[in-house]
Amino acid sequence: MIVAKKKLIKEIAESLSGCKRVLVVACGSCVTVCLSGGAKQADELASQLRLAARAAGGKLTVDTDCMERQCDREFVSQLTHDPKNYDAVLSIACGVGVGFMSELFPAARVLPGLNTTFYGAATADGVWEEYCHGCGDCVLAMTGGVCPIARCSKSLVNGPCGGTTKTGKCEVSPDMDCGWHLIYERAKAAGRLEALRALPVQKPRNWAKDRSGGARRLIHKELTNPEDGR
Amino acid sequence: MAEAGLTSKDLAQLSGTAELMERLWAPCRFGCPVHADVRSYLECIAQGRFVDAVDVIRRNLPFACVCGRVCHHPCEANCRRNDVDSAVAIRELKRFVAEQAGAKEPAVRKAAAQDRQTVAIIGAGPAGLSAALELAKAGYRPTVFEKFPRAGGVPATAIPVYRLPRDVLQMDVDWICAHGVKLATGVAVGKDKTLDQLLSEGFSAVLIAAGLSRSRPLPLPGDQGAGVHGALEFLTAAAMDRAPALGKDVLVIGGGNVATDAARTALRAGAGRVRMMCLEASEEMPAFPWEQAEAQEEGIEFIHRRGPTEVRRAGGRITGVATRRVTRVFDEQKRFDPRYDDGDVSIVECDTVILAIGQAAEYGFLAGSTVKLNARKQLEYNPATCQTNVPAVFAAGEIVTPPGSVVEACASGQRAARAMDLFLRGLPIVLDDVLPPHIDKIAPATADLVRKVRREPVAAQPPQVRRKNFAEVDHSYRASTALHESRRCMGCGSGAEVLTDKCAACLTCLRVCPFDIPVVTDVARIDPALCQACGICVAECPANAIVPRGHEPGWLGRLTAAALAEGSPKRIAYVCGHLASQDDWLARGEGAPGVREIYLPSMGAIATGDLLAAFEQGAEAVFLLTCQDAAERYPSATVRLRKRAAQARQMLKAAGIKSNCLAMFELTRFTRPAIRETLAEAVAKLAAAKTKAKAK
Repeated sequence: MIVAKKKLIKEIAESLSGCKRVLVVACGSCVTVCLSGGAKQADELASQLRLAARAAGGKLTVDTDCMERQCDREFVSQLTHDPKNYDAVLSIACGVGVGFMSELFPAARVLPGLNTTFYGAATADGVWEEYCHGCGDCVLAMTGGVCPIARCSKSLVNGPCGGTTKTGKCEVSPDMDCGWHLIYERAKAAGRLEALRALPVQKPRNWAKDRSGGARRLIHKELTNPEDGR
Repeated sequence: MAEAGLTSKDLAQLSGTAELMERLWAPCRFGCPVHADVRSYLECIAQGRFVDAVDVIRRNLPFACVCGRVCHHPCEANCRRNDVDSAVAIRELKRFVAEQAGAKEPAVRKAAAQDRQTVAIIGAGPAGLSAALELAKAGYRPTVFEKFPRAGGVPATAIPVYRLPRDVLQMDVDWICAHGVKLATGVAVGKDKTLDQLLSEGFSAVLIAAGLSRSRPLPLPGDQGAGVHGALEFLTAAAMDRAPALGKDVLVIGGGNVATDAARTALRAGAGRVRMMCLEASEEMPAFPWEQAEAQEEGIEFIHRRGPTEVRRAGGRITGVATRRVTRVFDEQKRFDPRYDDGDVSIVECDTVILAIGQAAEYGFLAGSTVKLNARKQLEYNPATCQTNVPAVFAAGEIVTPPGSVVEACASGQRAARAMDLFLRGLPIVLDDVLPPHIDKIAPATADLVRKVRREPVAAQPPQVRRKNFAEVDHSYRASTALHESRRCMGCGSGAEVLTDKCAACLTCLRVCPFDIPVVTDVARIDPALCQACGICVAECPANAIVPRGHEPGWLGRLTAAALAEGSPKRIAYVCGHLASQDDWLARGEGAPGVREIYLPSMGAIATGDLLAAFEQGAEAVFLLTCQDAAERYPSATVRLRKRAAQARQMLKAAGIKSNCLAMFELTRFTRPAIRETLAEAVAKLAAAKTKAKAK
């Protein structure tokens, strides 16, 4: 799941400077699940923006709306407000939603209300942690399901850097587990330490599969349409 | 029910309609013959809104005061609290509010215009007066004819005053009449004027609600002559202060409630010894168990499983009743079919016999009318339309239904009134008797999680005192006990409901529920039979996909707006209104100056957004007052509210609003002075902070 975090209200207010009418659009998928961009958060943000405008002696009209997913054009029909009636559309989806919405509504000014942070899982009530980096070349088979790219601060693939603390934390932050310590503990618990030790040295990774190769694309040929140019 | 699912579109369509609150009934309401909205009126009582409570009761039940005293309370038998500890004392609570508040400020809602046809009603008992009230509210002009000099029917003529004081009954009768119901007491239809005369004199329809006013005779050798009384006749005479002189040793024959009333009345009328003899064993007796118990406490003896064969006399005076042993009362199909052992006979000595083996109709009102009786000497009657053989003549109450209690007669009268309304409007009489669904029993695992609270007992006169006089047996609740008892109501069926189209299956509800109720399949499912209505999931759901079943959408915002509209300064307090237990709660007027208090059934339902919204609506300050008891009733509700308040304060601060405008107080002492002091201190603190800021 894509995890995103609320932007500071100050930053949002600055991005909305000069606007009189704003539409906050929630997304009913990942960001609802991580409690950052659901319909409720849209209402809260709208309240907060109106209050902030009032406190600053101004007036701001803020309406709210919600789509099942902002990354699929078919759900646009769920919007009950027309973006063209607003000076700005504040999307509280992940960056995908913000980008896709601005493509769908080229005349509207679509602004982000969240910072998209990672692909993660809920590890405790109210806590989400990063589990995947989306590197395009999965190595989880080798590391027992603990991702060295996402969970090692340095994305090392040939073991820890040497900065692991005695309590198994990363030298970057005492709050952060060392990714390779996790890999070791996982293998130990599964009785696969020998297999871990026997891993061959990994050759330099092809980072072109990650972001370095430019924007990525997935095509399922069996579902493409000629009229879409595919 | 859980799988049916409600969408936001359904909710929008239901919004503002009566059906919104009828989606799911609590079993107390479902089991009530008139379907009084028990949950709502208990919530009113819980918040000290006693007058509102009576208003809610009387929407369905005109005899609120009478039923507060004598109802057989199927609501309590159906109360889901029976599976937790014991039923909420619904009847006692009704008695408390009906007599305390109902008498002082009864809300009378007359029809805008009472200009429709006139209708005649025979019998001013619960059925007749309930029908009359419904017809009057619908704009008809009803006149109720009563052969006795006093209105009320059985409650006036046969329920002893120690159970139902006359002034209590009169409160209900007066309230009904205030709606434009005309009473003609002391008029016996069939004698003073015939039923057909009523129709020809201009009444467009007639309702027969004459009830069962005489005792069923039991032909026994020796039953004719002095010393043998019919129970109803005896009770009526006693009610009219004309009780016949009784002997020293009274035997009441019968095992029903009327028999118990007769026995207890005989005791109070001065009989030395009173015994009840019936065919049934104790557990088979039709009398309510509590009636039996009270009679026994007063010293009435029971003789079970004996059937009378003869009233023995010597020189005209009764010496005893010859009896034989009962071998069975009911057959295999549970039909009444007694069998006896004639080899086991005995004499029960007594000098007075009261026969209480059943009631019968008295058909004197039919004299000179075309309304017919059937072959079984009962009114010819179509239960589907409530009509007799004469289309304009209807019937209701015990004359056409099996003998029952006051509330059942009310229901019967109301149903007949609906039929009469259709008839008088020239429409086909099609009565819709279908009821909304109701929730199931509480599951044992959930019942275990519900906080146990002892049912408030009612003080009663000691038996040795009460057997000597006609003073009422039970004392009513005091305000403090009524508040406490009403807060035992679990608000069944008013809990969380998922809007299936909005749910993101995020699992938040499942994670925050203190009772482990939600399950998430395709979407979250919250079983209404288990939900405890704390409101926590409603406040936390990020998709706004959970609504409280017991409230209209936007209810909290409207309450807040109404409080803010009362004037300046615009300071409001959301106060836990469900678990306080003090008399001084009633002094609602004595709040802290300049703070409007809003009482909520659960503070757990207040969301961060609700707090921000209150400021948007113009509040200068918002205070949250929670109590220790609520924390126990809804585990984690207080902790969660504390976190939401902190979140809201942060958001307010980021929006440039002083975060000290929002304060939460967790009270351990939940009394009116404590609330007042807390709010006064909060206001003073705010003012001091303002002065300090200005000085800077």
